[in-house]
Amino acid sequence: MSQAPPRTVLEIDQLCVKFGGLVAISSMSFHVDHGEIVSLIGPNGAGKTTAFNAITGYLQPSSGEARFLDKSLNGLKPNQIAELGVVRTFQKTSLFGGNTAFENIMIALHRQGRQELFGSLLRLPNMHAEERRLRDRADEILEFFGIAARRDELASAMPYGEQRLLEVAIGLATEPEVLLLDEPASGMNPTETMSFVRMVERIREQDITILLVEHDMRMVMGVSDRVVVLNQGEIIASGPPSEIKHDPEVVRAYLGTSAPHA
Amino acid sequence: MTSPGTNRLAMGRFAPFAVLAFFALLPFWMTDQYFLHVLIITGIFIIAAISLNLLLGYTGQLSLGHVAFFGIGSYASALMSIGFDLNVFGWMLVVTPKPVWFCILCGIFVAGLAGWLIGKVSFKIRGAYFVIVTISFAEVMRLVALNWIDLTEGPMALNNIPPLTLWLPFAGETTFWSKVPNYFLVLSIAAICFEIVRRIVVSRVGRAVIALRENEPLAMSVGIDVTRYLLIITVISAAMAGAAGGLYSHYVRIIDPDVFLFIFTVTMVIMVVVGGKGTLWGPIVGGLLFGIMPEALREFAAPEVQWIIYGVAMIIVLIFLPQGIVPAVGSWLQSRRHGSEPPATPEPPGAKGAADPS
Amino acid sequence: MDQLLQHALNATILGGTYALLGIGLTMIFGIMKIVNFTHGELYTFGAYMMFFFVMVLGTNFFLGLVMAIALGLLLGALIELALLRPLRDADIDTTMLVMIGAWIALQNTQQFTWTGIAKSINTPFPLDPLVIGSVSVSWSRVFVFVVAIMMIIGTHMLIHHTRLGKAMRATFQDRDTAALMGVKINRIYTATFALGSGLAAAAGALLAPIFVVYPTMGDAVAAKSFAIVILGGLGNFWGAAIGGFILAFAEEFGAGYISSGYRDAMGFILIILILIFRPTGLFAQRERIG
Repeated sequence: MSQAPPRTVLEIDQLCVKFGGLVAISSMSFHVDHGEIVSLIGPNGAGKTTAFNAITGYLQPSSGEARFLDKSLNGLKPNQIAELGVVRTFQKTSLFGGNTAFENIMIALHRQGRQELFGSLLRLPNMHAEERRLRDRADEILEFFGIAARRDELASAMPYGEQRLLEVAIGLATEPEVLLLDEPASGMNPTETMSFVRMVERIREQDITILLVEHDMRMVMGVSDRVVVLNQGEIIASGPPSEIKHDPEVVRAYLGTSAPHA
Repeated sequence: MTSPGTNRLAMGRFAPFAVLAFFALLPFWMTDQYFLHVLIITGIFIIAAISLNLLLGYTGQLSLGHVAFFGIGSYASALMSIGFDLNVFGWMLVVTPKPVWFCILCGIFVAGLAGWLIGKVSFKIRGAYFVIVTISFAEVMRLVALNWIDLTEGPMALNNIPPLTLWLPFAGETTFWSKVPNYFLVLSIAAICFEIVRRIVVSRVGRAVIALRENEPLAMSVGIDVTRYLLIITVISAAMAGAAGGLYSHYVRIIDPDVFLFIFTVTMVIMVVVGGKGTLWGPIVGGLLFGIMPEALREFAAPEVQWIIYGVAMIIVLIFLPQGIVPAVGSWLQSRRHGSEPPATPEPPGAKGAADPS
Repeated sequence: MDQLLQHALNATILGGTYALLGIGLTMIFGIMKIVNFTHGELYTFGAYMMFFFVMVLGTNFFLGLVMAIALGLLLGALIELALLRPLRDADIDTTMLVMIGAWIALQNTQQFTWTGIAKSINTPFPLDPLVIGSVSVSWSRVFVFVVAIMMIIGTHMLIHHTRLGKAMRATFQDRDTAALMGVKINRIYTATFALGSGLAAAAGALLAPIFVVYPTMGDAVAAKSFAIVILGGLGNFWGAAIGGFILAFAEEFGAGYISSGYRDAMGFILIILILIFRPTGLFAQRERIG
């Protein structure tokens, strides 16, 4: 995209998370530049989701910090971090299940609205304009993700693959600077995964930086600019996918004997 | 939650007006004073149920201390209208009787303030703890009303509470002594509360708390300050319950600490749950049912038996119709309308807010 | 000083039954994640059964006590089987509301059966109080205290030294893992609810001869049990036992030195303070599960 020098948007600085005596993440440092797609990989229990939780305020790091554009995220609540533009999705399917797909997006457009209680109660004129704008935007987003046909269906009743798309759509609707995707393709079949990869690239084209946690190696190797490998709470390698694939330590610690087919 | 463009029941848009018209015309052919009295009390409880539904149904917080706001509203309004003097740390606060409309507004304000306070301290906790702390709050209020005899007369009750006096077009200065003006007063306040809830739940604020009900972590992840919106809704809900309390004290004209009894919260909860929590019509359907049923059962059953019936009805509805009557009727109507046309995807049983025929 | 000692003695005696009530409720919450609104009704039920056996049938006092507790266990098991089993996977709010429905139905059934007139029960104990130095206590209260303490110890033994108790503890730790290990979860739930209910009925049957028996007597007791359990941390056995004594002391001294009108408010005030300043209870080490 832009040819300006890379600007670090997300910096993880010696982040450390302990549960009681158990060290989940020991001193993790890496950064994500503007417009990049960085993948965080590692075997189960390596601390990927914990890292996401610590970055996005769902748990407090024991020491170290995450910074967004040089602003420390420590001590901020998840909604404050989202307000800044750092938005995450969840590993387990996480939707507003009792609402329709359209309503899910309307909820996610919270940051794009300004209406407060009295505006809604008095039906101030600008409220209708705002609602119309948000509804149009919601339809646009559903269209973008190819799930417009499910607009008025309950999210909990949608097919699995489309639920996962809706989750990413919710994340995108918040117009984030950085989108943290936690295993977005898990449970998808290969066809769904491939179309999802294209989706991720189209999101990047909207000038959104992506930090991805994913198990599907084809997806990781295909879509990432850089890969950070985590094992037992420590970063053991980081670099472009082509390097990572052949890093002996990664192969040994994480990929085991079977090398990825990319 | 609804949005234009969603499949609505055809009657959706006109139903509120039709129902309002029906109840507005009711006193012209139903002149039985006792029946009007039953409707007035039912209406007051429907207002309380509407306010509870906002909290229980739309934000998903099971507050079992709701009667506290009702009681605070009724005591605040009654005390302001009777006048009182209070020794606050050696400083005498003397309040002379105020016009009743102003007192009801004060009751609404004080109840809203109490909602803000209790929300501030209790929204740090969720689940069972939240339920127990809300019950405790209401019980403490009851014991305060019972023991602060200088202010509340304790168990001797506050009596001679004046009825509402208003200047009305066509009628001039009117004191609401008889049933009919009280009936219309309660009906209008109920309609206003219904409309307030309707406007809130389709707004950005409403979406924020529905998001909290459906999935709190996800709601936070899209930038919703859940605690803030929860607090806003609690204040509105508490103020509305306070309005119901004010209406109650100036209609019944005597109140005692029993207005804080847990059983009143339970009555409101039964109305909301059986009618359909998180639906606009739920508290109204449930309220009418449980407001009028006691009268229907009166001849056949002792009060204890009636309560046994309510308890069992509540259990049966929760087990077999967990969404309540309104959503069940709504989806039944919908399926009839679509006729044999099969639904595109099967709806999972027990999906929250599956139908909201507002 | 004498007055202080007397208050302390009264509080200790009262604390025994409070602890019994708290333990029953906290077990049900800890293992089943159910806020049991029928707890006070089981207490009332125990009291009425005591009245039924001793005063109506003329059964021996001690046999009546055993029968009342046994029927409390049975009623608890029935409630579990009829109401809670169908709602096994329902959310906590639904089960809470169902338990409220059951509370209303049970209370009014008792009111219907026994009318609202308060009943009293004769005891076989001497009327002269036991005098120790400057303080005195009635023999029937001593009996209540001793039995309550024995039952607390018995329950503790059951949880820690029997197969049933082991399965209960496993379920408490992690229901799914326990199920995988072959614990019959349904059976554990029924047993837990029955046991918790039995303890409530026992408290009711024990206290019935000291106080009078009336249909709504369980309401204040249920509220106190909640306070006790919150004090100790939901699901914490010894927390509930200690919480029972703390509440008894708070009430006794609150009533004695502040105002007797606010005696019943102490529990609620403690709940609110605890939840504001230390939401996990006084003694909880593990994370809150509510």
